[in-house]
Amino acid sequence: METKFDKTVEILFELKVADVMRKDIISIGPSDMMSQLKKTLQERRISGLPVVKGSNLVGVISIEDLIRWLSDGDADQRVEEVMSKNPQCLYADQPLIHAVKKFDQFGFGRFPVLDRESGKLVGIITRGVIINGTLKKLEKEYKEEEIRQYRASHFFGDISADQKKVTLKFKISGKDFDNAGKASTTMKKNLKRMGIQPDIIQRAAIASYEAEMNVVIYTNGGVMQYTITEDKLSLNVTDSGPGIDDIEKAMQPGYTTSESWVKELGFGAGMGLPNIKKCSDKMDLQSEVGKGTTLKIEILIGEDHEVK
Amino acid sequence: MKIGEIIKLLNAEVHYLHNNQSDAEIKSAAACDLLSDILARVHVPDLLLTGLNNAQAIRTCSVFGIKAVVIVRGRPIDQKLIDLAHEEEITLLSTKDSLFIASGKLFSKGIEDAFEPCE
Ligand SMILES: Nc1ncnc2c1ncn2[C@@H]1O[C@H](COP(=O)(O)OP(=O)(O)O)[C@@H](O)[C@H]1O
Ligand SMILES: [Mg+2]
Repeated sequence: METKFDKTVEILFELKVADVMRKDIISIGPSDMMSQLKKTLQERRISGLPVVKGSNLVGVISIEDLIRWLSDGDADQRVEEVMSKNPQCLYADQPLIHAVKKFDQFGFGRFPVLDRESGKLVGIITRGVIINGTLKKLEKEYKEEEIRQYRASHFFGDISADQKKVTLKFKISGKDFDNAGKASTTMKKNLKRMGIQPDIIQRAAIASYEAEMNVVIYTNGGVMQYTITEDKLSLNVTDSGPGIDDIEKAMQPGYTTSESWVKELGFGAGMGLPNIKKCSDKMDLQSEVGKGTTLKIEILIGEDHEVK
Repeated sequence: MKIGEIIKLLNAEVHYLHNNQSDAEIKSAAACDLLSDILARVHVPDLLLTGLNNAQAIRTCSVFGIKAVVIVRGRPIDQKLIDLAHEEEITLLSTKDSLFIASGKLFSKGIEDAFEPCE
């Protein structure tokens, strides 16, 4: 049987680098000065640039190169004296999976994309545009599937993505125990496909699942929104009631208001919120009785934050 | 221990066998009816033994990364549950044995407990 996960991996093989790359290339010339580079990076809020002569790629230069140059305190210099020559590139006609592998292999923030025949620079690819492009395509696939199989329709909500972040939204129905947890398992698969580190995925999935179960068990429904940027994964869970009157108490391990039917589901031992806290780098729980509850958590994706 | 041997040992009914792999290796297991407790653990067991026969038993495996689940005490297995196991690619077995007996059988064959107190 084909699963949704297979489908998302398939997309990475189907799409070409050219389908998702940025074509509006911001570049700099080899004989431009480092002071100019500093200005461009600041103004455009980017962390690296291809160095282009005519339409030929001659190097790449990143914010790290700039910082090194600044800290060395050298006088203004030409970009070509600081840039990395012979940069790693991708070709426009390669499948996107190559790009994903290359990011894994080299850990760079961006790769220039060349036309295979002319060797000319035709685009730029970052992790952000890969995620963006893949999810857009995934969304289409889900929509088509929804027409045939409406079972999938109410959990895969909105997808929106720009260059820097990806947002996925799921509607959660209260007391719908057949579908309880579906947002979290779907999200786990998406995170895997995005190439996020397994231990981060594990923590995100656990926190998300306990949060989702609380919404299903205690409320009439809500919305879970995942936002993934380069450095963190944020989860925002909102419901419209009944709210929690004493948050401090609710956070205590073992505190629960659950009735026996919740325990029959395998939950309701007062371990959910403490475990969500343990899995997160940051957690914020706000609630108003009669209005609803909002849970916000963050998990850092950066290399230094692997295990707490 | 191979999943095929576990099926024999527990005289288990096979509802879904992922990839039809009866030689998938099972080294550790957890026996529990409290899914929150599984989710709070440090180690991920290969197998979950539980008396729960609801969607949460499967989804917990999927969230936590557990490959297979055995539902004990001969509790009925709904077609919906089998479909979900399929969708989530979790091997789904059931046995008439109680949680205690099933655990004891696996323990005596050297399956490890995945539990390790975290604090
Ligand atoms: N979204 C929510 N809306 C209302 N009450 C909630 C919500 N989430 C948690 N609670 C309350 O907080 C208590 C503790 O939650 P949790 O730590 O997840 O443990 P459990 O769900 O096992 O009771 C719950 O018993 C419930 O009273
Ligand atoms: Mg809970």
